Amino acid sequence: MATIVENNAKKQLLWIGMGSIIMFFGGLTSAYIVRKPEGNWLEFVLPEYFTISTIIIVFSSIVLFFVKGQLRKNNSAFQLVLSVLLLGLLFTFFQFKGWQQLISQGIYLTGEGSNASGSFLYVLTLAHLVHLLGGLVALIYVTIQAKKNIFTTKDSLAIDLTSVYWHFLALLWLFLYALLNFY
Amino acid sequence: MSDHHHKETFITKYIFSTDHKMIAKQFLITGMFMALVGMLMSAVFRVQLANPGEYSVLYNLLPGGWISEDGALNPDKYLALVTMHGTILVFWVLTAGLSGTFANFLIPLQIGARDMASGFINMLSYWFFFIATVILMSSIYVEGGPASSGWTIYPPLSALPEAIPGSGTGMTLWLLSITLFVVGSLLGGLNYIVTILNLRTKGMSMQRMPLTCWALFVTAILGVLSFPVLLSCGLLLLFDRSFGTSFYLSDIIINGEALHYAGGSPILFEHLFWFLGHPEVYIILLPALGIVSEVIAVNSRKPIFGYKAMVGAILLIAFLSFIVWGHHMFMTGMNPFLGSVFTFTTLLIAIPSAVKVFNWLATLWRANIRFTPAMLFAIGTVSAFITGGLTGLILGDSALDINVHDTYFVVGHFHIVMGLSAIYGMYAGVYHWFPKMYGKMMNKTLGYMHFWTTFICAYGVFFPMHFLGLAGLPRRYYTNSSFPMFDGLSDINEIITFFALAGAVAQAIFIFNFVYSIFKGTKASKNPWKANTLEWTTPVERIHGNWPGELPVVTRWAYDYSKPGAEEDYIPQNVPLKEGEEEH
Amino acid sequence: MTNLLIALVVFLTIAAMVQLVRVNELLSEITNKDTNEVTDEDNNQNGILFIIIGFGFLAFVIWQMITWDHLLLPPASSVHGAEIDGLMQVSMTLILVVFFALTPMLFYFAYKYRGKKENTAYFFAHNNRLEVAWTVIPTIVLTALIIYGLRTWDRAMNPDVSDATVIEVYSKQFDWTARYSGADNILGDANFRLVEGRNTLGVDINDEKAADDIVVREVHLPVNKPVLLKFRSRDVIHSAFLPHFRVQMNCVPGLSTQFAFTPTKTTAEMKENEGEDFEYVLLCNKICGSAHFNMQMKFVVESEEDYNKWINSQKTVQNTLTLK
Repeated sequence: MATIVENNAKKQLLWIGMGSIIMFFGGLTSAYIVRKPEGNWLEFVLPEYFTISTIIIVFSSIVLFFVKGQLRKNNSAFQLVLSVLLLGLLFTFFQFKGWQQLISQGIYLTGEGSNASGSFLYVLTLAHLVHLLGGLVALIYVTIQAKKNIFTTKDSLAIDLTSVYWHFLALLWLFLYALLNFY
Repeated sequence: MSDHHHKETFITKYIFSTDHKMIAKQFLITGMFMALVGMLMSAVFRVQLANPGEYSVLYNLLPGGWISEDGALNPDKYLALVTMHGTILVFWVLTAGLSGTFANFLIPLQIGARDMASGFINMLSYWFFFIATVILMSSIYVEGGPASSGWTIYPPLSALPEAIPGSGTGMTLWLLSITLFVVGSLLGGLNYIVTILNLRTKGMSMQRMPLTCWALFVTAILGVLSFPVLLSCGLLLLFDRSFGTSFYLSDIIINGEALHYAGGSPILFEHLFWFLGHPEVYIILLPALGIVSEVIAVNSRKPIFGYKAMVGAILLIAFLSFIVWGHHMFMTGMNPFLGSVFTFTTLLIAIPSAVKVFNWLATLWRANIRFTPAMLFAIGTVSAFITGGLTGLILGDSALDINVHDTYFVVGHFHIVMGLSAIYGMYAGVYHWFPKMYGKMMNKTLGYMHFWTTFICAYGVFFPMHFLGLAGLPRRYYTNSSFPMFDGLSDINEIITFFALAGAVAQAIFIFNFVYSIFKGTKASKNPWKANTLEWTTPVERIHGNWPGELPVVTRWAYDYSKPGAEEDYIPQNVPLKEGEEEH
Repeated sequence: MTNLLIALVVFLTIAAMVQLVRVNELLSEITNKDTNEVTDEDNNQNGILFIIIGFGFLAFVIWQMITWDHLLLPPASSVHGAEIDGLMQVSMTLILVVFFALTPMLFYFAYKYRGKKENTAYFFAHNNRLEVAWTVIPTIVLTALIIYGLRTWDRAMNPDVSDATVIEVYSKQFDWTARYSGADNILGDANFRLVEGRNTLGVDINDEKAADDIVVREVHLPVNKPVLLKFRSRDVIHSAFLPHFRVQMNCVPGLSTQFAFTPTKTTAEMKENEGEDFEYVLLCNKICGSAHFNMQMKFVVESEEDYNKWINSQKTVQNTLTLK
């Protein structure tokens, strides 16, 4: 049984790690913001698949909020975390669909006919997805543990950490989506 | 940290250890090994500079194909050597070797914790570093050789193998290696921050923390905020190199062929790179300065002067370090107003640095100095920091930078602040904490010999470089003999090389002392330096969990040396206040 | 054979050190003292060494300053360069004063306060007035320096170029080419995709502004007349460094950068002071590949008369690139 101090420490490790991830995306975002006004920038409409995936990830975040409530009622968190995991996989699927759509629109990462605006879109969304994979791994672990009914209100470190990270990924995606659509 | 009675195997004790003290030593040994490699590289290229185009026996150290038929070093391999030398010394030795060693070793001990917040993540941080090391070293032997575009790897040179052979496989491996290195550093940094915030023992408030801890704490924060930007910088370079994107590249003809890249800017790379690059030098310097504060206080038998101001200076330096990066880019054609802003912030950073120097001088004033080898190196650090810091005022001034940018003036400056100041700080740390790390004492006479020879040789190598720079000599030149205007400088080059080789040999004294003392050194006592900080209250043999019984309880700051009214000239932090005694 | 000798030397050095340490250990057994304990004797010796070697270092610095002064760059040959030299003098004086004040103080303190068993250190933990003093004074001094520096920078970066002769300096692995803008003082358009054969700079020969451009491998400048150098690069980042004029500017592929200056001393004048072999030279100052160390182009500063003679004898783009 881990102490409160140990749990706090693990949570802080995650928070600072997320700070680092923010700086990483900060670097990419700065590059994007600086490059765009320089010209030679192809404007295009973002495939709707990305809008769908945005809705999915926001929804998954909302679902995750209800887990604490379930634990308080002494219920298993299993169904809810499983749902979040499935929604996460669905998000991933729609990201891929979005990229497919881009290619069919003629927006490429590189090569003949490609443009910086397309390159940035691919790199930003890919970087986000790579970090999301970490979230999916955490969700898989938590789902398995939840099936064994391990979590209680007092002892839910893995769920707490996974939730914080997952919410972070959702917020990060919202930021990127806004950047790509409105800047 | 609950259970410390698990059975230890050779693997869990020495290889995949989660004990911060063992991990620290892993960083130290790897750092020392890489320092040797980096130093040998510099010996090779210094020989080329003193005797351009001639064969040297040192070239036997190099892989085949790096020497031409008449025995001369190949020009592009000269650039490979300076690149790898810079990479190894900046990242492997002065970041991992310095922070990795001392943050890991000292933080739990000095704050009174059993271990780091997560021993597992700590173990991972070393092994990421180890794998990064293997990859970097292997890049030396690939076709085309290792990365050769300077440790600053500006594109397009670093993006195009046709521009220089090392920008092929060698550069790809460099990027891979640095990615793993950065991840390892971040994992370490996370731990250092969280451990200091959460695991300080009872009574150890932040205001009672030793300056070394403060320095390591702030350094870790610098790292977690700045290293990720290097990753984003490198990611975009990876895409340009391997996937043909145009983040950094545009309008290029190479080998007669017009390339497809359009719209990219190498200046974007420079901004992203230096956004890490500048904080990086403070990531290197601050731990060294923190170590020096500790060593000076203990060996002066006096409190460090102006503890609060010292903490404030560390914080101010860290904050300012984020807004000075443009001073590496004055000559890129940036908007002159932007250049002015960076000049302003850069010269500002001189102020907290000056405060630190004055505080050290005030600590030495009316002290009762005990010259352990560590103390010698600490004083050496202060000297080098004064010297190197002052030339920074020239370089930070944009108008003056016009004629000294990328000349040997810069090379002299950064070697004196990093190669002297930071390395001396590292040496001071090793000599000072060796008894705690290995339970043995290092030989004092060999330590003295090591210091004085190094001190003389190092200034002999790097001070003359300022004159080379003011004579207009650019850096990263394979030879100075192509320009008649530099013909008069060959004497200086020979002097520099002489001191460089002598200095390199002098380090053998340290290596010998270090290795010999681990096995045959006299057994150390618990607190050979009669110091106040908590690490000296742990048993000599070093145990898991650091203290055999309860954790110490802290009642005072770390600097009650020669406190009036006290029996001894030191009072450890866990000694309760006497009746009527006031805490400083 | 040399390898064998080196190995022998290394082995013997290690053996010597082992013996030294063994002697130390035996001594400690005999005298029953810990020879690694730092004694008053040690403190004395090291304190004295700080005086000898420390002040020796300072003497070495002064020796370098005197001996190598003649090797430094001569005074600047440009208007803004003279201002930079002035700023450099002031800044150097400042840092040398601080260096020669603080460094001896450090070494002297190390000597004066060398430890003795019977002494006690003075418990002096802080003094706010001192802290304020040595924060405020450097701030004032640095502020003054910054203001001086920024004014110099502003004048160097924003000179009046209305009258300046425009010359393009084109860098590639591993040489320089210059293109004068000719009578109209406007450079013809150029694009890297137009590089072909003799058109090494990619000049657009259909652009009428290009017709009077002059491509050369050696630059001549009339003395006391402003010139605006515009830089391009074909392949990687290079840096145009003209140390005698205090001019430096990166040449970045995909961008154009520039630097304007007014040369004030002719090559002939410089030859009088610096010797017959003197030439102004342009060097590359940003790592650019294997021959980075040998990218040079001669610059000649001459009277306006000589300059006019020279430039009028050069062929224009019209005559060199369009003729098939």
